[in-house]
Amino acid sequence: MSHRLASLVLALVVTAFAATAASARTTAASPLTIYAAASLTQVFKALDPAPNYSFAGSNALETQIRNGAPADIFASAAPLNTQRLYKAGIVDKPVTFTANRLALIVPKSNPAGIRSIYDLRSKAVKLVVAAPAVPVGGYTLTVLRRMGLSGVLSKVVSRESDVKAVTGKVALGQADAGFVYVTDARPVSDQVTVVRIPAWAQPRVRYEIAVVSKSPNKAAARAWITMLQSSRGQTALENAGFLPVPKPST
Amino acid sequence: MLVLATGVALAFLVLPVVAIFARVPPGELLSALGTEAAKDALVVTVKTNLVSMALILAFGTPAAYWIATRELRLRDVVVTLVELPLVLPPAVAGIGLLAAFGRLGLLGGTMDALGIDIAFTQTAVVLAVTFVASPFYVRTAVAAFEAVDPALPAAARTLGAGPGRVFFRVALPLAAGGLGAGAALAFARGIGEFGATIMFAGSLEGRTQTLSLAIYEQFDLDFDVALAISALLVIVSGTVLLSVKLLTRWRSGSTTPIPFAPSTRTSS
Repeated sequence: MSHRLASLVLALVVTAFAATAASARTTAASPLTIYAAASLTQVFKALDPAPNYSFAGSNALETQIRNGAPADIFASAAPLNTQRLYKAGIVDKPVTFTANRLALIVPKSNPAGIRSIYDLRSKAVKLVVAAPAVPVGGYTLTVLRRMGLSGVLSKVVSRESDVKAVTGKVALGQADAGFVYVTDARPVSDQVTVVRIPAWAQPRVRYEIAVVSKSPNKAAARAWITMLQSSRGQTALENAGFLPVPKPST
Repeated sequence: MLVLATGVALAFLVLPVVAIFARVPPGELLSALGTEAAKDALVVTVKTNLVSMALILAFGTPAAYWIATRELRLRDVVVTLVELPLVLPPAVAGIGLLAAFGRLGLLGGTMDALGIDIAFTQTAVVLAVTFVASPFYVRTAVAAFEAVDPALPAAARTLGAGPGRVFFRVALPLAAGGLGAGAALAFARGIGEFGATIMFAGSLEGRTQTLSLAIYEQFDLDFDVALAISALLVIVSGTVLLSVKLLTRWRSGSTTPIPFAPSTRTSS
């Protein structure tokens, strides 16, 4: 009795392992696994729904890839994260593929009455930002420093793990204001109002993409990046509000 | 075969816990716990969980007594409602709390009119912790009150004790072991709360960032700090679990079927 039960359990375990191993092998063959900055969620999915995507803060994705996550491609919202992995020999040479700008968003109801960035200084406001290690969190600090508004950081009520979490908290009306990319405001434009940040205060937001060196799908991954750099990919990005790649001055 | 299966199961369960301690030497573990982020998170966690625990005991004990001692027609429905947060995914708990107590939620307008704004406050953390942890206490407490020999409160009543006196002097002391075990389980669940908190209360160091949220943030900032906080939580959780077993063994007066209690007691 217990013997038969044991062999049944054993059979189940073996089948389960075989099944997962088989599925791992098939996924290695066809769809790409792309780890991408949260701000790329909508545009990448619309551009190509086929790959398996993992969207999160670029810093979290960097840590995951460093720890052996099975990504074929890493698209980061800041060069810092791709370059660190490149120097560690984990990804191939990264290329810049798009750019972005920051904006302040407030809920449509605008409970704190924010009409300009400078209102953050005078009004009682529940401000949400991304954590400093998240690219958009770092860019937010740059904007505030350039505008002489670093003092408003005392009004921050939450440091989120990626830009979509910031967007969500504002769109839900939980927070009074949040710093995101202009491209994040578009999908929720019926729930939020955009408060513009002057061009002189804008940080240089540059997105980099790289093939993961250990990827078994390197050819397909390189082809995907070429597609992204082609006019089809660039048009999709620009339609979503992203900026063209800046002239190579760096 | 049996031994092999047990060995595999035990190894699988123990390995991740051991690995946490194996990756960082104890000395560095302590210094990582001394970082500002870890200390702040510890203070926030202890503070919010103590308030939450007080609320759970104050409201959960009478509720459990009521469920256990009344002939309820819809008893199964009531118990199921109480137990539901126990099995709900944390993300669902977070969404539910937002939909109920969020600024644009069901009670948002009323709370706004009363001048109450709990968004991103420690009150929000307390609500999240209470929501997910209280079922652990209430369901154990119901079982503890049900296990009290009905002859004893009945005897107290025939001797002239009022309902309040029966509750405080007879039922409560007799159920104390079970109540303590339930409280310990609720506390263990509360200090580990993550999903509902990050969705409902956000994460800000020194304000709403609990130990679990600090682990999540430190994960890609400083892995050693994340490991150190994890080790602390393993120790606390282990201590709580052990104390549940000791509590139920020490309180031999009650014969409550309590989850996680030594099996000899539950089978009696």
